[in-house]
Parts: sequence; C-alpha cells; structure tokens
Amino acid sequence: MNQIKTISKKDLNNFINKLILDKNYEVVGVKSKSKRYVFDILEDASELCLDHDVTIIPPKKYFLPQYEKLMEYNLEKQFEVKPNIEIKPRIIIGIHPYDVIALEQMDKVYLDSQKDDFYKKRRENTLLIASDIQNVSDRSFAASMHTNTTDKGFDLLLTDIEDKYTVTIGSEKGKNLLEKYAKTENAKEVDIKNIDKTRKKTLNKYKKKVNLPKEDWPSVLVANYDSGVWEERSDKCIECSSCTMVCPTCYCYDVKDEVSLNLKTGSRIRTWDGCLLRDFTKIGSGEFFREERKERYRHRFFRKGNYLPARYGFVACVGCGRCGIACLPDIADPSDVMSSLAHHRKSDDTARFFIKQETKVAETNTIHIPRKATIKRIEKLTDAEKLFEIELDDKKPLGHKPGQFVEVSIFGIGEAPFGLTSSPSDSPTFEIAVRKVGNVTSKLHEMSVGDKIGIRGPLGNGFDIEKLENKNLLLTSGGIGIYPMRSLINYVLDKKNRKKFKQIIILYGAKRPKEILFLNEMEEWKKCDDTTCKLTVDRCEQGECWSGDIGLITTLFPKIRVDKLDSKNTIAVVVGPPIMYKFVIKSLQTMGIPDENIFVSLERRMKCGVGKCGHCQINGIYVCKEGPVFNYKEIKALPEAFE
Amino acid sequence: MKQKPRVAIFDFADCEGCELEIADLEEEILSLLEIVDIVSFREVMKEHSDSYDIAIVEGSIMRPMDEKRLRDIRSKAKILVALGACATIGGVNKIRNQWMHDEVVRAVYGDAPVQRNELFNVSKTKAINEVVPVDYYIHGCPIDRDEFKHVITALALGKKPEIPRYPVCVECKKNENICQFELGAYCLGPITRAGCKAICPTHNSPCEGCRGLIKKAETECVWQVLERYNLSYEDIRRRCTMYNYGNEECQVDE
Repeated sequence: MNQIKTISKKDLNNFINKLILDKNYEVVGVKSKSKRYVFDILEDASELCLDHDVTIIPPKKYFLPQYEKLMEYNLEKQFEVKPNIEIKPRIIIGIHPYDVIALEQMDKVYLDSQKDDFYKKRRENTLLIASDIQNVSDRSFAASMHTNTTDKGFDLLLTDIEDKYTVTIGSEKGKNLLEKYAKTENAKEVDIKNIDKTRKKTLNKYKKKVNLPKEDWPSVLVANYDSGVWEERSDKCIECSSCTMVCPTCYCYDVKDEVSLNLKTGSRIRTWDGCLLRDFTKIGSGEFFREERKERYRHRFFRKGNYLPARYGFVACVGCGRCGIACLPDIADPSDVMSSLAHHRKSDDTARFFIKQETKVAETNTIHIPRKATIKRIEKLTDAEKLFEIELDDKKPLGHKPGQFVEVSIFGIGEAPFGLTSSPSDSPTFEIAVRKVGNVTSKLHEMSVGDKIGIRGPLGNGFDIEKLENKNLLLTSGGIGIYPMRSLINYVLDKKNRKKFKQIIILYGAKRPKEILFLNEMEEWKKCDDTTCKLTVDRCEQGECWSGDIGLITTLFPKIRVDKLDSKNTIAVVVGPPIMYKFVIKSLQTMGIPDENIFVSLERRMKCGVGKCGHCQINGIYVCKEGPVFNYKEIKALPEAFE
Repeated sequence: MKQKPRVAIFDFADCEGCELEIADLEEEILSLLEIVDIVSFREVMKEHSDSYDIAIVEGSIMRPMDEKRLRDIRSKAKILVALGACATIGGVNKIRNQWMHDEVVRAVYGDAPVQRNELFNVSKTKAINEVVPVDYYIHGCPIDRDEFKHVITALALGKKPEIPRYPVCVECKKNENICQFELGAYCLGPITRAGCKAICPTHNSPCEGCRGLIKKAETECVWQVLERYNLSYEDIRRRCTMYNYGNEECQVDE
C-alpha cells in the first residue's frame, strides 16, 4: 500500500515553485497551447495545467527525444568518438496514468537484454509526478484498456479531491522530494475515499470504449491477419505516420550522421521514424518490404495488439486516443479497428507470428557506440565487390559464429550491416565482403589499408553448429549469399572440424560468370574429403568465358547424387536474394528434406542491430536479434518472411 | 589534401532569395570556403569562371535563351544541383502556365513593342529538370539552410544526400504543433515533401507545398480527408497552384 499525503492547493503551488527554483532540475509540466496541451518547461507553477485531457505528443520525448545526439566525433582525427550521454535531471509534472504505463512498457523494450544506455540514463535522471485524470479527451478509451489509473510507475501521484490534492508516494525519491520541499499532512480515511470518488467521476466521462477486451486482441488479430478490414481502411491512409509520431508506445527510430560545414566534426543523430512510411524498410540494394500500404497499416495494429504482447505480455496500446485525434482520414484509432473485429473469430495460436530465441550477444559497451577498428587488407573480388580484413584496435578476436553480422561505421557517412564472411578463429582479424550499392559501401570501396572504421558486434543469431553435427550438409547460396555462407563453409571444412560433419555439398549460383565470388577457394573446397561443389550462372553473354553450368540455382539439384543423401539426416542451409528462397525450398522439399532441417539467413534493414529501432521486423520478430539465421519450419509461419 | 571541388552558382527566373540564404550563412561562409572553391556567384562576387565541378542552379526556365544557357552549364558541370522551388519544381513561376504566354505578356507589358525582343520571348515555365538532367535537389521557397549544408557536405564527402520522401506531417508532429486542419485551416503538409522542419505550420501558417508534392491532390485518400473537413477539390487545387501548377507528384528516388 502506498503512503498517501494531502497538500493544499496553495502549498502545491509553493512546492512546484520550489522545485522550479532548484537548479539541479529542469522542471517540465503540462501547459496549454491554444486549444491543446503540451509538456514544456515550467517557469512558474501558475503555468501548470492539471485538468488537461491529453497532450499533443506523449512524454516519450523526454526519454527518446525527437532528435537526439548519440555521439560526437572528430573527422580530422581518424577515429575519435564521444558518447553524448550527459543528461540533466528532470522532473515531469502532470503525466497521466496511461502515459506512466506506456513508459513502463517502453522500459521493457529499451532496458531488456541489450540496454539502451541513453534511455536508461534519462529514465534514471527523471522523476515523474503523475496526476490523476480529471478531464477525458473525446478520443480516449483508457478506461477500456484499464490504463486510466495506476498505483505504480510514478514517484508521486497527485489527485484533485476538490478542496485539496492527495499525494500518493510511489518511490523513495518522490518521498524525499516531498519531504524537502512540501508542506503536507497525512491523508485521512475520508481523503482516500475521495480519491476513489474523483476517479469514479472521471470514469463516467469516457465517450469511447473498445468492445473487445484487450486480453482478446492478440487472438482476434491472429485470426484476422488476412481480413479485408486492413485494405478497406488503409485505402484512406495518406501515409503521414502521424499516428506513430504521437503514440506513446511507438518507439521506432532512424539514425543519421550530420557533419559541420567545414567537415571537421560531426554527430550521429537519432530521430523518430514511422512504420507507415514507405522508406522505413528500404535496404541498401533498393528493395522494400511491406511495400503495400495495407501491409504497413496492418503492421502498426499487429505490433501493438499481437507482436509486443507475444514478446512481453502486454498490449502496447494505452488508449490515450492521440492517434485518433492526429489521423486526418480517421482510420488510426485502435478502438474503432478492434471494435470492428470484436465479433470475429479468435485463434488459439496467439504467438504464431513470434519466434522466441535466446540471443547470445556479448554485452556491448554502450549501445550505438562503435569500437575502433583498422582495415588490414583489401582484396578486389569483382568490379563491384571487395573483401576487407579488419582488426579491432583492442586486438581482441571478434568471437563470432558463422551467420552473425557486424555494423560498420564510417563517421560522417553512416552505418550499415554486413554479414561476416570469415569463419570463427582465434585470429584478431575478421573479414567482411562488400558490394558497392549505397553510401557506406561506396565509401568503404574508396578506403585504404590502415584506415579506421567503427565496428559494433558480432550481432544477431548465427548458425547453431551443434544442430549441424553428424549430418550431411547441403549448403546453397545465390549471389552475395555466398558471403555469410563462406564463413560456414570454411568452418565445417576446417581440418579441426571436418570429422564432425558427414557429406558436404556446396551449391552456388551467380548471375554471370564475372560475378562469381571466391572461385579459387571453391577449388580448394572441392579437394576436401567427401565434399561436392557445384556452380552455375543464370546467363552467360557472348564473349564471356564460361564452360560450366548455365541455369538457375535450382537446376543444380537434379545433378547432385541424391541416393547418397539420406534426406532425414541432411541439413540444408540457404542464403541468397529474397526471390531465391521460394524456389530452392521447394526443391529441397521435393528431395524429402524436412522443414525443420532447413536453415535460412534473411536480409532486412538492420539499423540498430539490437532489436529496438524496428526497421528489420518480420511480423513479430526482429531479424537483427532473433535472426538473421532462422529455422525454416519456424520462420515459414511468418507471412512477411518470404513475401 | 584532395583538391577542393569548384562550385558555381547560377540563377534564372527567380527572386534570388535562395542564393541569399547561402549568403546569409554569414561566418559559416568561411567554413563553406574551407571545403569548396566558389568560382561563380553573381549575387555576392564579381569574379566568374567557366571551369567548375558542381553547378548550383536557382530559378525556373522561361525562354529559349535560358534553355540554351542551362544546357551550356550542364555540359560544363559534373554535378548539377537544383536550388529552391523555382528550380526544383517550377514554383511560383508556374502560376502563369495557366494562361497563354501572349496573354501574360500583354497583361504585364500592355502594348509595349516587346514581340521581337529575345528577352521577352517567354514560353511555358519549366523546372530545370524539364530541360536537363538534375543530380540533386535542394527544395523549398526559400531553401532550408541546414538542408543546403547537408547537401553540400554530403557532396564533399562523396555521399548521396538524404532528402526525405515523407510528408511534412512527420516533422510537424515532432514539433508538437496543433494540426492546421484541427484549427479550421487546411494545409498541404500531408502531401508535401518534408525537410523544412515544418517551418510554416510551426509558425501557424498552413503548408503551401513549396518542397513539391509527394502525393497527388487527386488521390482518393486526399479527397476523403477534404470531404471530412468540408473542403472542396477546388480549395486544394487552388492551394496547389501556388507552387505546383501542373506538376505531377515527385518521383520516389529523386
């Protein structure tokens, strides 16, 4: 039971003015802005509104600011970076219970296995003085979401009980603040009864409600993934992503580099991004995922009503109604959408779009801050591709598994993910191969041996080698899918490891002869015991020298000696462009290889690499965290995986 | 150190306000000069050179003589950057495309004998990409100085500038503005390219679309919004005329 005090209205004013005078804190509160309300710096207690209905944007801006400088760097020095993590203590006054609950949810996302240090520091340095709701926005349905009141998550909670306020103490910090600055009395029984009275009075003010209990959102959504409602409603969507900007439980962000005009210094900025925007999923090679408007529209509801519930156990909508106000065509309000699905069927398999996987990632120093590394060797592979051997400047081995990736930083240009192409070793160096497609890759191609870059990782889940042991291996890659596959091939063919695996068949397809990568190494691979290596090109133009197979990768399957392959004892690994999977997997199934024996590595826009920024999501999973390597039997249940 | 890129700044039909934004960088001009050599910039210097790597072109194209001059600039420049709404989308100069050009000339010059004068030989207003290929765009009327800096530093670093392909609403919401529609006004923000930090709605003035439309006003979903707010197609058409008369939506991968 929380300790409850009372404070007169005059003394509350004095308390707030004393807080404002305390220069250790920045004091912000709800202020009116024309017809609406915003959180802003308080200069005097008289500016504070505690009878507001809802603010234009939620207080998430104090924990994940609209624009946040993550680090500063010096471009004149080869690698000098400073995290920008000094955060002034702050007190937020007037935050409503639904926003408190939204912050508790955000804690789960930002403070889970890979903590966001920037968020953590802001959270630790902030005191929340919440206030019970007095006036209800026409669009709020917090009562239906049971987020209209809360007994935790705040440091202090103010409730207007007509002639005075009660102050519910939620933390030691809150208590100390109150003792230092406020004149209070212990609440009497009647005061506590009056809190309930105030809350009941407010409860009657809700005009909106959801006809579907939030416990049922996940199951109803799963059963209605292909419902016509998504297309029907999204036809009106103007794709402005206002709904995500104003949402207290939308936390997706983008990261960009900005440099000073004289190119001497720069900073890496994080800013809000929205999954309703088309470019949200765009990857370096120019491909989009969830390209249709209805898919993006549906994603927002599934993230709130199914994906996050499957991962963390809560429905990520607190019923504040901000999206309903912000959406010009009025299609974003979850209470409308979920109510329209209220009489639809439910599914028992509510976690169908989620794959639980333990991420075995080493604790990073600070999220987003790269480690210093040096380019040790550069090898030209084709006209558009180069291999880079890289060493971390602390000389520690990277410690990766085949299938994992790193984020490579070039200050001033940006950061991009690359699959590791060398096999794990004790050597302090590792390799990535880079096709020139975007800003970071083009710059890498211009760099020389000795140049400094930044590395984060190894990230993601690689191949589970134990599952491959004592099995035949059928390793199929297309195009630059050979990059991560090479890491696995060199690992299994390594003399130390070879005896752990049975027959090994390597299939590789490139578009044209001149795009074949690692041809010399392939000759070496062929020489290994019980190893077959087959190569094909999609086409060969006149004048190109090629005497091998021509045809798509699937034409190689009939050419391997299937009799030798015991399909149940064979593990197939597939890495290639998105288009390739459907056809290759069909061939594997024809050969009798069970789905649970197939592993794939998928490509998406992996920006943060730690399951926060949201860009790489395939339904309920983050490719950067649960993947990029997946078991086909598990991932095939996700409709967005091979769209 | 690598040789600094040589930059020339040119203007056609415009108010020169975007060039003024560059001049208004004030002491930061010195930083600009650390990374590029400005070899031609009529508004602020008298020197001129025809040898340049990057041409920054302001203004719209109105006359055959302008087209010829622009083609000449294009042939000399490795990179051509369109500066400001007149250059990127035609801008306010396109308002007159609603009328025949001799009507326009008569309305402005009356009976003055201008027909034979090359300077008055105007035809339809064109954005510069309607005459020559453009590599990069710095949108706006006027341009946003930070975006100018972003494009210039990107080019100096050899990277492709990142110009938003999402609507002004994104930046407007980040600025915690009350929606213009909610205030009873209406605004082109939902269909206009962001990058301006939503400066107009932030100062309580509806967006006029100066950075170009990323969605056509004729799109069904836009109509639905107009209907909801009791606006007509004529209302939005009129507003689009200010900067985007006759324009299609901008291409995705500009």
